[in-house]
Amino acid sequence: MNHFKFKKRLFLLLLAFVLSFSPGNVLRVGSTDRTRPIIISIVPKSLDNPMLIEAKEAAELTAERLNVKLEWVGPFKVDVHTQIKIIEGLIRRKVDGIAVSCSDAEQLRPVIDKAVAAGIKVATMEADAPESNRLFYCGTNNYAAGAKCGEVLVRIVTAKGWADRELNTVILTGSTKAHDLNERIRGFQEAAVGRLKLNYRTLLICNEDTTTAAKEVEAYLKKHPETDVLFFTGGWAFLGPPETLPVYDQWCQNGGITVAMDTSYPVLQAALRGFAQALVGPDYRKMGEFTVSYLVCAIKDLPIPSDFIDTGFELADESNFSQLLQTKKPWDIK
Amino acid sequence: MKKLMMAGRKFFRNLRLRSLRSKIILSFTGLSLIPLLLLAFLSYYTYLEILQQNVRTYTEAVINRVERNLQIYLSDLERILEFRNDYYILQFLKLSLIDDVEGNQKYTYRLWENLNNIKKYKTDLREVAITTLKGVKIGCYGVTNVDLSQNELFQILANRTAQDNTMALYGPHDDWLGGKVFSVGCAIYGDYDNFLGVMSVDVELDLLARICSDIRLGKTGYVTLVDQNGQIIFHPDPELIGKSVGLLLGNPVGESWRSGYYTYGNRVIMGKTLPLANWSIIGISDRAELIAEMTTVARMSFALIAATIIAVVLGSLLLASVLTKPLKELQASMWAAAENLDTVVPVRTFDEIGQLGKAFNQMLIEIRRLMRQSVQEQKKLRQIEMRALQEQIKPHFIYNTLEVIIGLLETNQNEDVIKMVEALGAFFRISLSQGRELISIKEEVDHVHNYLYIQKLRHGEKYDYRIEVEDGIANFKTLKILLQPLVENAIYHGVRSLETNDGLITVRGYREEKTICFEVEDNGQGMPADLVDKINRYLRGEGPEDQEKHGFGLRNVHERIVLAFGQEYGLWLTSTLGQGTKVVLRLPLIK
Repeated sequence: MNHFKFKKRLFLLLLAFVLSFSPGNVLRVGSTDRTRPIIISIVPKSLDNPMLIEAKEAAELTAERLNVKLEWVGPFKVDVHTQIKIIEGLIRRKVDGIAVSCSDAEQLRPVIDKAVAAGIKVATMEADAPESNRLFYCGTNNYAAGAKCGEVLVRIVTAKGWADRELNTVILTGSTKAHDLNERIRGFQEAAVGRLKLNYRTLLICNEDTTTAAKEVEAYLKKHPETDVLFFTGGWAFLGPPETLPVYDQWCQNGGITVAMDTSYPVLQAALRGFAQALVGPDYRKMGEFTVSYLVCAIKDLPIPSDFIDTGFELADESNFSQLLQTKKPWDIK
Repeated sequence: MKKLMMAGRKFFRNLRLRSLRSKIILSFTGLSLIPLLLLAFLSYYTYLEILQQNVRTYTEAVINRVERNLQIYLSDLERILEFRNDYYILQFLKLSLIDDVEGNQKYTYRLWENLNNIKKYKTDLREVAITTLKGVKIGCYGVTNVDLSQNELFQILANRTAQDNTMALYGPHDDWLGGKVFSVGCAIYGDYDNFLGVMSVDVELDLLARICSDIRLGKTGYVTLVDQNGQIIFHPDPELIGKSVGLLLGNPVGESWRSGYYTYGNRVIMGKTLPLANWSIIGISDRAELIAEMTTVARMSFALIAATIIAVVLGSLLLASVLTKPLKELQASMWAAAENLDTVVPVRTFDEIGQLGKAFNQMLIEIRRLMRQSVQEQKKLRQIEMRALQEQIKPHFIYNTLEVIIGLLETNQNEDVIKMVEALGAFFRISLSQGRELISIKEEVDHVHNYLYIQKLRHGEKYDYRIEVEDGIANFKTLKILLQPLVENAIYHGVRSLETNDGLITVRGYREEKTICFEVEDNGQGMPADLVDKINRYLRGEGPEDQEKHGFGLRNVHERIVLAFGQEYGLWLTSTLGQGTKVVLRLPLIK
């Protein structure tokens, strides 16, 4: 894994070097004369979810460095139809590259294929649409990340001496249509199966909205305090003020176990407060950086190493929450 | 042509109204038809005028309403655009200028939230965005890049000064998401009036449809909006949006169609310009609809006129029937009365016709009374006349006359006998007068003359007589045998009893304007005044009947005159005891 990462970084540095010799904003791509700068549009699932803030920042910095224009366009709230409409608009505008974080892989597939057919270099980022004709997917191996969460849970439960107990388990996810989230669930469940007696009581869906996530969790736990384990496929519930989760707070104090898929600054803060026992976090900065870099490569007809650009993930638990938090930048957006 | 004229004349001649009923019907119909037609004509044109005025007023009101709605909406947008001086926007713009990517993340997320909140509350908005001087546009859908040189709204605002920082409008145009929008924006200035960028809102063009589509001018009229380039930006028919207004208005010359009121072909058009946008609000009504409405009014008017005529004719028939029925009954009764005076007209109403019938009945009663009276009077006249004749041919008179004639024969006074017989013959001939009532005054005077001649021969030198009658009245008519009874009275009650032989009887006749007067005067013994008074009253039927022996002859004459000519004619007696008596007889002038 480390070897692969090193090779990719080397490739990107070489790419940046090559691009830096390009005269101004006018680039020559293939045999087509370009009279305007390269435009790459990243289409997140929603704008109001700040989890991708690091990816956005990294993408913008990369774009600046590569002397291309970056756009960040998406629906304010998760809405696949608006996402489709936006991609249609980008096709009309003839942007050079598009990276989509798919809120519904199946519904987005046709418009992705349409963009590809229109000659636009299309990638997926964070949430893949594997059946589409996209050029590559840049993001975490969500199945592996989910499996990591399952493994961590096994360790925690075993440590608590609950391995033989049937554990009431609830999963909170953003959507049942998002490929990344479904893969995380699949990985989590498959990692735990045969090792833990997880009794899946329900699947809470928050539409990747922070407020909804907090509300869903609070409401459920108030009604079902007997819940033992919570698995969050994203950190939405922790992105708001911790004071909005009093029931959850009490539940945690009573010994509830939570494993979540996010290691961003506010989520680590929440974990330090005792809101989670383990976190597995995608590397959003890499996502932003690699997505832009490889799309520029694709636009310039340079080779892409793979159709899966793995940005990896990191593990955080009670042993390194503080340490990891110090490496992160506060969001300061709310 | 001649035949046609003749036929026309014949037709109008046949139209001559023969009955009261026809006159009433035609009069009522005519009288009601003329004002009705006049009213219909005036009503039609007044209604047309009012309708046109109403259409104009209504169209104007509708256009003003559309303008007001648009102005209100634009005012709302203006208030939204005041948000451009928000702290986060200004910070975002400033950090964008120095390409501070990391520092701007916070403001980016804030702005997305704020801009989307605006969009959420103003549902017609498709986009609320800030565009920087570097062509970065942050809006409800994230961050995009725009070519400022192609961004008309940005160019308009960039070319203004901070002092002229008013709202600008551009569009309609397609937004990058494929929607039809128009954009409204304001420039954003920094602390030193330096131009930092633009805040803009993209409004769905459907908003115009929402404002205008429900507005109807009549059944088919509508409101359309045209931009500053003459392109239709709203029309009830979506197919026409984006087309030239010339399709609707027939390629009008110049810009006159943008304001004012005029007609084009079958269309009534009113335009008004929305100052901020330089759009034109145009109301288009269909004249055919107006005409159709007028046709309806005209049809209704004609139907009303026709119905009124029918009603008037039927009413006239009824009225004529009501009015003429009693008249016809009256007429029938009158015809019946012409044959039978005992007919009685039935009186059923108290109106003029009833009064007429009543008066007619009264007249019949009067006629019957007069006829009875006339019959009685005639009968009486005949009796009086008969009695007068009987008086004349008293046996004693005839006997005495014949005695005189015998005496004359015995004394061989043949000449006198002849004269006597002739006088007697003339006397009786005139008395009979072939049954005529009226004879000439000459005949009457001859008659009295014959009588006096006969009597004079009988009575000798006892008295004399004079007849003084104006020649001019000889041919006028008089009742026969009026003077003879007077002269007889003058002889027997006047001059015959005189002891001397100087008795004189004078008969005078003269004209007094329209009256014929006769006087029979004697210088006999006369009468006392009370007797004269009694006789005069007896003549007029006022006195006691015991005067008959003195006044029968006089009364007979007087009654005949009164019966024939009236009360103002007759006899008047004056007398002085010992000096004589005068009887004045007055008759009408009868030719």
